[in-house]
Amino acid sequence: MSGILTKLKDKLQSYRVPGYRTKFEYKWTMVVDLDRCNGCEACVVACYAENNLPVVGKRDCDISRRFSWIRIERYIEGEYPDVKVKFIPIMCQHCDAAPCELGCPVYATYHNQDGLNVQVYNRCVGTFTCATYCTYDVRRFNWFTYKWDSPLEQQLNPDVTVREMGVMEKCTFCIQRIRVAKDTAKDEGRKVTDGDVQTACMQSCPTDAITFGDLNDPNSKVSKLAKSPRRYRLLEELNTDPSVIYLKRVMDEKKGHGSSHG
Amino acid sequence: MKNLIVNFIILVIFVVTLGVGYLIADQYIGRAPEQPINFSHKIHAGTNEIPCMYCHIYAERAKVSGAPNVQRCMGCHKIIKTESPEIKKLAGYWERQEPIPWIKVHNLPDHVDFTHKRHIKAGRKCQECHGPVETMDRVTRVASLKMGWCLKCHAKYNVKNGRECWTCHI
Amino acid sequence: MKRRYFLKFIGAGGIGTGLGMLFGQAIKPPGAKLIPYLIPPEDVIPGLANYYASLCTQCPAGCGVLVKIMDGRAKKVEGNPLHPVSGGKLCVRGQAGLQALYNPDRVQGPMRRKGARGSTSFEPISWEEAIGEVTTRLNDLSAKGESDKLYFLTPELGGHLGKLADDFMAGYGSSNTIKYDLFDYRNLRYANRASMGIKAIPHYDIENTKYLLSFGADFASTWLSPVGMSRGYGEMRQGGHTGRGKFVQVEPRLSLTAANADEWVPAKPGTEAVLALAIAKEIVDSGHYKGSDLKTWKKLLSPFGLSYASEVTDVDKKRIRHIAKEFMSTRPSLAVGGEGISGYSNGVSGLVAVNILNHVAGNLGIKGGVQANSNDLFGGNDADTVGAGIQTLINAAKESKVGLLFHYNNNPAFTTPGSAKAADALKNVPFIVSFSSFLDETTALSDIILPSHTSFEDWGDDFTNPAPGFQVATIMQPVVSSVYKTRSLGDIFIGIGKAVGGTAKAKMPNDTFATHLKASWKRLYAKDKGMSASSFTFETFWRETLARGGWWNEKSAKKRKLSVSTRSVARHVSKEPAKFEGESSKYPLYLLPYAQAGHLDGRGANIPWLQELPDPITSVVWDSWVEINPKTAKRLGVKMGDMAEIESPFGKVLSPVYVYEGIRPDTVAIPIGQVHKLYGRYAEKRGANPLEILPSTVDTRTEVYALNSTRVRIAKVSRPGDLVKMDVYTDELGRGIVQTVPTGGQFKKSSHH
Repeated sequence: MSGILTKLKDKLQSYRVPGYRTKFEYKWTMVVDLDRCNGCEACVVACYAENNLPVVGKRDCDISRRFSWIRIERYIEGEYPDVKVKFIPIMCQHCDAAPCELGCPVYATYHNQDGLNVQVYNRCVGTFTCATYCTYDVRRFNWFTYKWDSPLEQQLNPDVTVREMGVMEKCTFCIQRIRVAKDTAKDEGRKVTDGDVQTACMQSCPTDAITFGDLNDPNSKVSKLAKSPRRYRLLEELNTDPSVIYLKRVMDEKKGHGSSHG
Repeated sequence: MKNLIVNFIILVIFVVTLGVGYLIADQYIGRAPEQPINFSHKIHAGTNEIPCMYCHIYAERAKVSGAPNVQRCMGCHKIIKTESPEIKKLAGYWERQEPIPWIKVHNLPDHVDFTHKRHIKAGRKCQECHGPVETMDRVTRVASLKMGWCLKCHAKYNVKNGRECWTCHI
Repeated sequence: MKRRYFLKFIGAGGIGTGLGMLFGQAIKPPGAKLIPYLIPPEDVIPGLANYYASLCTQCPAGCGVLVKIMDGRAKKVEGNPLHPVSGGKLCVRGQAGLQALYNPDRVQGPMRRKGARGSTSFEPISWEEAIGEVTTRLNDLSAKGESDKLYFLTPELGGHLGKLADDFMAGYGSSNTIKYDLFDYRNLRYANRASMGIKAIPHYDIENTKYLLSFGADFASTWLSPVGMSRGYGEMRQGGHTGRGKFVQVEPRLSLTAANADEWVPAKPGTEAVLALAIAKEIVDSGHYKGSDLKTWKKLLSPFGLSYASEVTDVDKKRIRHIAKEFMSTRPSLAVGGEGISGYSNGVSGLVAVNILNHVAGNLGIKGGVQANSNDLFGGNDADTVGAGIQTLINAAKESKVGLLFHYNNNPAFTTPGSAKAADALKNVPFIVSFSSFLDETTALSDIILPSHTSFEDWGDDFTNPAPGFQVATIMQPVVSSVYKTRSLGDIFIGIGKAVGGTAKAKMPNDTFATHLKASWKRLYAKDKGMSASSFTFETFWRETLARGGWWNEKSAKKRKLSVSTRSVARHVSKEPAKFEGESSKYPLYLLPYAQAGHLDGRGANIPWLQELPDPITSVVWDSWVEINPKTAKRLGVKMGDMAEIESPFGKVLSPVYVYEGIRPDTVAIPIGQVHKLYGRYAEKRGANPLEILPSTVDTRTEVYALNSTRVRIAKVSRPGDLVKMDVYTDELGRGIVQTVPTGGQFKKSSHH
């Protein structure tokens, strides 16, 4: 009897315990080294170019309608002359226990077999629930169908949908690039190997602060970096189990400012 | 008075459904638009047994199969059957150095990221989706190209991640 | 409802739908077209990307890029992984270059002025007409025997294009090529030549250094070669090969780069040179310096005692001593000097001081220090001329000595200080020909516009300067067909040269710039042993070079000794800090105009991506601002977002206030780049331009405008501000978002005060 119970419990838990997705083929993970990041925002422009993000203008920026799937948050602490500035790039954390996925009434956002939190545009009806539930404020809503002044539209990436009014969107870990890598790998009859997939932000980062890869592959660069003693995840106490791992900034902070628990 | 109202409602329903019918026509009736040149797949692919990918050159390598380039047409028709009126039309395009404005028969809805390459590499025959093109004088769409139709086939061949949204929708 | 009615409704619906569908089938337009290729291009598969190696020209750094092309359109610009400078990485401006290519506000073809000067009323003309008109003007001028009245105003033109332009000018009979960019490192070149005798800008090896002392070098956003330097910075921090390097930044304002430093030293504006020399004196006095000329150094540096330096620079004595100690004991260490030390009235002296500091600490010519660059492939260095500057042109124009002006891709009407009155001077020029691609403030003054290609549509090359210790030549190739009716600048010169005839024609042996470039490279190939050894024939070499993105040879790195002698630098060392206009009683605050990553000297302002990119420090979008210390703000009674009037002895501008802890209380800073009067829909009429209220102070040795050369006063104005910031809090509120670990035992804890 207890055997059956344990089995049942295991079965149930296998869907609830973070990390259960190790049984899948890939577990895409991003590692961001905050000691390398210098806040230059090259990643932000790379994301705009790769993912067809519209430019909304000053007025819409003012009412938080700016479309940046990745943003650099910076914190200024201390008083002159002992001022410390800290940068952190924040994009969708692709949580394994994602709050947004619970909220969607039409299953437009869900977890896929690679550990990605994905958004299906043609299912989305724009209830805004996911953005409300999101812990990291990374979801962006299309309040309008944005237009590009001609001929700027010639730059648009044909591999990525141009979203329309009423649809929620967010960082996809450049899934179009993952697909190209998988496509090539399949042609060559192998698995996607480390370095095949570069997200746009990682590719542009001049200080090499961002690394992307498969956590299921023990020899990948991310797997090695993920073991760093400087590792932490964003707001980990909320148990969202993010797929983005940050490496702590090396810095002498004054006592009383910030905290380095974790 | 009551009759008037009823007739009015009937009229309204008629007009509304007429509009709806107009809009959804493409989804239910096999599309067979008239093309600028009366090209016959029956003659080329059927009688003469030219392989599909001799003309649709990108099908194995890219998302799109590619409408045959005009040069490819002229490659044969410089010599073959040059006096036929349809070939003369073709020659006209070539002389003017204009591409032929073919009409799309198989037009996928937005949001679908379909790739010919993976389907060909998986060993699917062109005819499984496009029907017996080699018997058609004018190409008619035989499949609805709706998601249910796609998924039926994905289920049949037990496609890996075949029911995953982001396999087709980016 | 009666059943009869229901059936009637159903019937009506059914018949309606049926008829509608038939009707639709019959009359509906047949829908999307399927347009085939006429002749398929060999290397294009629809929907698959091709990558072409090329060169980025958004700033002078010369990064190699890959452009992603799909179906004939440029989709993305990425760094070229093989290129020694960019290494596959690219900065914000480089990536946003695409929106310059596809900018809706580009000049779409040759145009002739219709209305009054500056009225922006132009009429389109044909290329033949345009070249013909310019030729007539040139011939008129030379007929009068005034060939030398032709001036060519341009930023540094890299590689063979610059050479071709020089050939044209020489052939026509004019030596007046004026090179100008607001940030063009003339001071740096001059200082390096004066103190170390080197022509090329050396390689500052941030990657391998263990202690970086930067005097206002904002290398994370704009200075010298932001991508190359940022790559080095990342490796210095966590590359793992030498342990984490320490980084100290001296700057009155906490810039993006200073924000990453372990220590920020806010020295008083204009005193950085004194601080550098005081540190050098500490090093010399401590016995670290072992050179035979120790005595002369001691004598030269003797005025820079700790108490004097501390008093002038507002940096604690103990701290200066501490920095000196760490700087000499950490091996290798490296000092660099950027805009924050060269942007003063004595800019050259500041940069010489940095070189002295590197010399006495023993950082010259070593790994992790300053490495000399060999001359470029021309055998000399095209950038070694610190010849006539913009001030020469302005004076000549004022005195009506300019008969004809060629103008390309820089915008002096915007990027020179207001008191220099560049625009007014240019109005004196009888005929101005512009080769610019955008209708900016300077181009609007021209009489005829012959718009040139962007870097995506043109051929070209660049001998990267500063190179990473060895020769790097990057080739630019057209990756898309031209979007508008523009032409290659090289082709324009060849066209005009051939039309003018005489020596100018003789100097143009090739019909197009593309063939000229290839022919020139063939000559280089024949001359350079490394090149001819790399492949059997020139054709294969050329093909490989285009595919690779250029030519570089790490083996060409030559270790070269560098040193600074007291004799060469003595005349550049001065005890006095830099001068500022305006009495301190009337104008109590120093003004620091600075370059922002996205806009540089204002050239990025017409790119929507860059306008909407929040400033990394202030998070402001679509605007400029004035940074004020909270203490000063309180004294002045201004809050975040209030509008303030910034007044110097030379004028005033209005700007919203950004209250910022990272700036000295006696200093305010305004970013450069906004408030274009003209420059397309995205750039115009927003923000404030600090250059408008600057004096035309130059460092007389180089004719470089001193950006930090005036004091200002600030008053609140009642107009409501409209500053748009993307952040809400500047504090983490204890949420542990950016977690840190202490620097630990990697180096001793620094003494904070």
